[in-house]
Amino acid sequence: MKKTNISIKIFSFIIVTTLFLSGIFIFYKFYDDSRDTTEHLLEENIQYNLLDIKYFLEKNLKKNNINQLRSYLNNIVYTNQIIGDLHLLDNHKQLIYATKNDIEVKEKENCIHISKIIDSDLFKQECYTFKIKLYDQLTPYYYTASIYLDNDYLDSLLKDKIVKYTLFFIIYIIIYVLLLWFLIRKIIISPLEELRRFAYYSTEAPRSFLIKEFESIRYSLMLTFRRLKKEQEELYNLSTKDPLSGLYNRLSLMEKITWLISKSQRTNEEFALLFLDLDNFKNINDSRGHEFGDQVLKHIADVLLSSVRENDTVSRLGGDEFVLVLADIKNNNIILDVIKRIQSSLKEPIHFENYKYHITCSIGIAIYPKDGESSTELLKNADIAMYKAKALGKNNFYFFTEHLNQEVQERVEIQRLIHTALENNNFKLYYQPKVTIKTNQIVACEALIRLEEPQKNLLIPPNKFISVAEESNLIIPLGEWIFKEAVKQIKRWENTPYKDIKISINVSGVQFKDKAFLAKVEEIIKDVDRSKLDIELTESVLMNNFDEKFEIIHAFKKLGLSLSLDDFGTGYSSLSYLKDIPFDTLKIDKSFIDDIEEGKDNSFIKMIVTIAEELGLEVVAEGVETKEQLIYLQKINCSQYQGYYCSKPLPVKEFEALFEKQHCSKK
Amino acid sequence: MKIFYSLTILLLLLFTACTQEQNSKIIISTNPWIGYTPLYYAEKKGYLKDINMQLITNVSLAESTALYDVGKVDMITATQHEYYSLRETEHNIVPIILLDRSNGGDMILSNKTIPEIQKAKKIYAYLEIDSINAEVLEDFMHYYKLDKDKIEFINKDQAQMLDLQNNPKHTLLIVSYSPYDITLKKHGFHTVASTKDMRSIIVIDALFTDKKILQTEKKRLRKLKKIIDRSIQEIQADTKGSFIIVKAFLGDIGYNDYLESLKLIKWINNPSEKLLKRIKPMGFDKNILIQ
Repeated sequence: MKKTNISIKIFSFIIVTTLFLSGIFIFYKFYDDSRDTTEHLLEENIQYNLLDIKYFLEKNLKKNNINQLRSYLNNIVYTNQIIGDLHLLDNHKQLIYATKNDIEVKEKENCIHISKIIDSDLFKQECYTFKIKLYDQLTPYYYTASIYLDNDYLDSLLKDKIVKYTLFFIIYIIIYVLLLWFLIRKIIISPLEELRRFAYYSTEAPRSFLIKEFESIRYSLMLTFRRLKKEQEELYNLSTKDPLSGLYNRLSLMEKITWLISKSQRTNEEFALLFLDLDNFKNINDSRGHEFGDQVLKHIADVLLSSVRENDTVSRLGGDEFVLVLADIKNNNIILDVIKRIQSSLKEPIHFENYKYHITCSIGIAIYPKDGESSTELLKNADIAMYKAKALGKNNFYFFTEHLNQEVQERVEIQRLIHTALENNNFKLYYQPKVTIKTNQIVACEALIRLEEPQKNLLIPPNKFISVAEESNLIIPLGEWIFKEAVKQIKRWENTPYKDIKISINVSGVQFKDKAFLAKVEEIIKDVDRSKLDIELTESVLMNNFDEKFEIIHAFKKLGLSLSLDDFGTGYSSLSYLKDIPFDTLKIDKSFIDDIEEGKDNSFIKMIVTIAEELGLEVVAEGVETKEQLIYLQKINCSQYQGYYCSKPLPVKEFEALFEKQHCSKK
Repeated sequence: MKIFYSLTILLLLLFTACTQEQNSKIIISTNPWIGYTPLYYAEKKGYLKDINMQLITNVSLAESTALYDVGKVDMITATQHEYYSLRETEHNIVPIILLDRSNGGDMILSNKTIPEIQKAKKIYAYLEIDSINAEVLEDFMHYYKLDKDKIEFINKDQAQMLDLQNNPKHTLLIVSYSPYDITLKKHGFHTVASTKDMRSIIVIDALFTDKKILQTEKKRLRKLKKIIDRSIQEIQADTKGSFIIVKAFLGDIGYNDYLESLKLIKWINNPSEKLLKRIKPMGFDKNILIQ
């Protein structure tokens, strides 16, 4: 059953009304008792008066002597306010005396015997009678006396009492109810209302209350709200602050930017967003552990906070990414000053546990409203600019430009194309022949990836998308696809005139990040003649995390794959690679070949060929485009070449057709 | 909720207790008379208080009757004379408990002998006219054939009569009753007739009340009857002890006078059938009397 709620006001009203009604009842009873007491006293007075009269008359009244007694009787009536009149009737019912002669003799029916006075209502009864026993010698006879009450006097007594009591009652009740209402309001309703407001708004705690229970509730509420406020602050900090650095988090940053956008829309003021990323922070984490990394981040937070102005905002998005919002930018000098202060502070090495570490950062800058009208856009563009800064060589900053944006958009588009191409098989392998210089025979080829853009019917070259694929790790599925496709081709060429052609595949350094890389390769090549598959690795691939890659490369070798060192001569050209890795082939970079005719780097080429000979390695010259280049290579005993002089990379059919011609000499 | 119900019930009980009417006090009006001693005894012993009754004493029967007449008291000790008088004046009065019959307790005193009285030309007869005195005197007059015309009836209370002195020049008759007779005898008066030897008259003392009280207070009246029975038994068992208790009600009398007075009455609280039969025509109906 649903309980009906009533307000404290209604409850108090009920209590006050109940008290009021109780008051009426008590006052009525009081009045009634008082009236009864008065009546009783009056009755006693009448009884004693009648006793006197009766005694007097019985002792003194004789036949025909009433006139002698008249003055006495008159006195009794006139001196007694209650008795209005006295009538005396003889034994023949004849009136022989009436105090007030002008009053008519009243009907006897209105009178009751005096003995019934207690049971009668004095204020309503008109008269009482009694017998007077007289004797004629020893023979009794009876006179009748009737006492008429002074009803006007009795009424006035009653009226006075009623008026007095009513007035007293009304005044008392009004004062009592007002006082009670005031007290209820003061002690109960107001505190409850204050408690309600306090419970609802939880702002200012009410003063102490008189009622113990209310005080207890107030105190409990205060404690609860204090705890809630503390928890709220903690929650607020958790939701708005980065727990590690104490800087604002992404959510707060977005709010701040949104607020600044609104403000700037009104004031036409510009503000700048600085996207800051630590250079090589991953290396710090990897080499010194996350604990140290966290200390670095805290230090950076301090550096940033000390570098900005008071009204600027510093936030940490996560990892080693920080965003600074510089409000009210009048010119770029303000931005540059901040950056200068940051870079200056970071020049000092960080000291942790007797360890010094130099750290730099790359900063991308976007300015509202020029570089974006929304927080997301500004953040994205600052991020783009930061990447550009990083690409420019780190410890740098870069202002976002539209051109930069287009570059990024292009990369995003290429990334999308790679995704689509992987799903729709839009990638194609093109094959560029490797030719034995002495015989001019095509003996091998390098598989080169091409991306077809079916809607525009374009063929996108690898230099446009490989770097994007590497950045986005799409190179891993793409590399896997290349492996599979090359192996398929080898399989297809089995038992054909092309069965001896060896296919070289380029492997990106990113592919080594794939923990299942080796297993996947093993699986792919399990059913093919592995001597027909060659893996080309550039020096740049070997430069980073060599130790991790070392084992995989050796495993390739164990699987029966041959290894080529691509673009040799462009990197460190470290001979240690040749020592540590069992390469089969050295590929001389095209830049050396390009300069053959000018004779600039010929000694280098010759030296590479000599080293290869010494080490028993094949040498392939890349990018051979002219007869002169080929002649030179032939002269220094370079075994193979690859380049447009023979053929550009060709689709498989065209490559097969070229192979069938059995020579590559165009001229 | 249980507490709420408990409180409500408690309040109701308190309210009921507050509003329940107590037995109202019954006031008995009496006057000095040896036959009413059981009531004095019961009052002093607190027996009456136990049943919420109170005894008030008056100088005379007339005064006592007047109080009843004006409604100041609820019960009255009286003789059949007062009973008849009150019955005549619109009272629904009934006898409820018989107390005693006068056996010499009412008497006529004189300063003369019977022959002297009979020979006297003028007799002054003092009496409470509106009392049993009148019946006693009438019986005396009738018995000794005294002419009413030579008698002057003087109406006086017993207390007033105590001042009467023996004047040998006059023939005086004083109708009195115990214990007033003792004082009068000291003044030289002697008993010429009493209810002991007056066969034609029987003086009954009883407790009277309104019919309405009889109906509404029957239970208490039965208790009163038992108290009276008990008091009479205790008085009879220990007259000395009872004298000490009641002497204040009987005026200035000694123990011997008390003993003498007791001899002048007969207790009829438990009347014989014969007596009941005799007094029935006088208005003492055994069906009304509390036995």
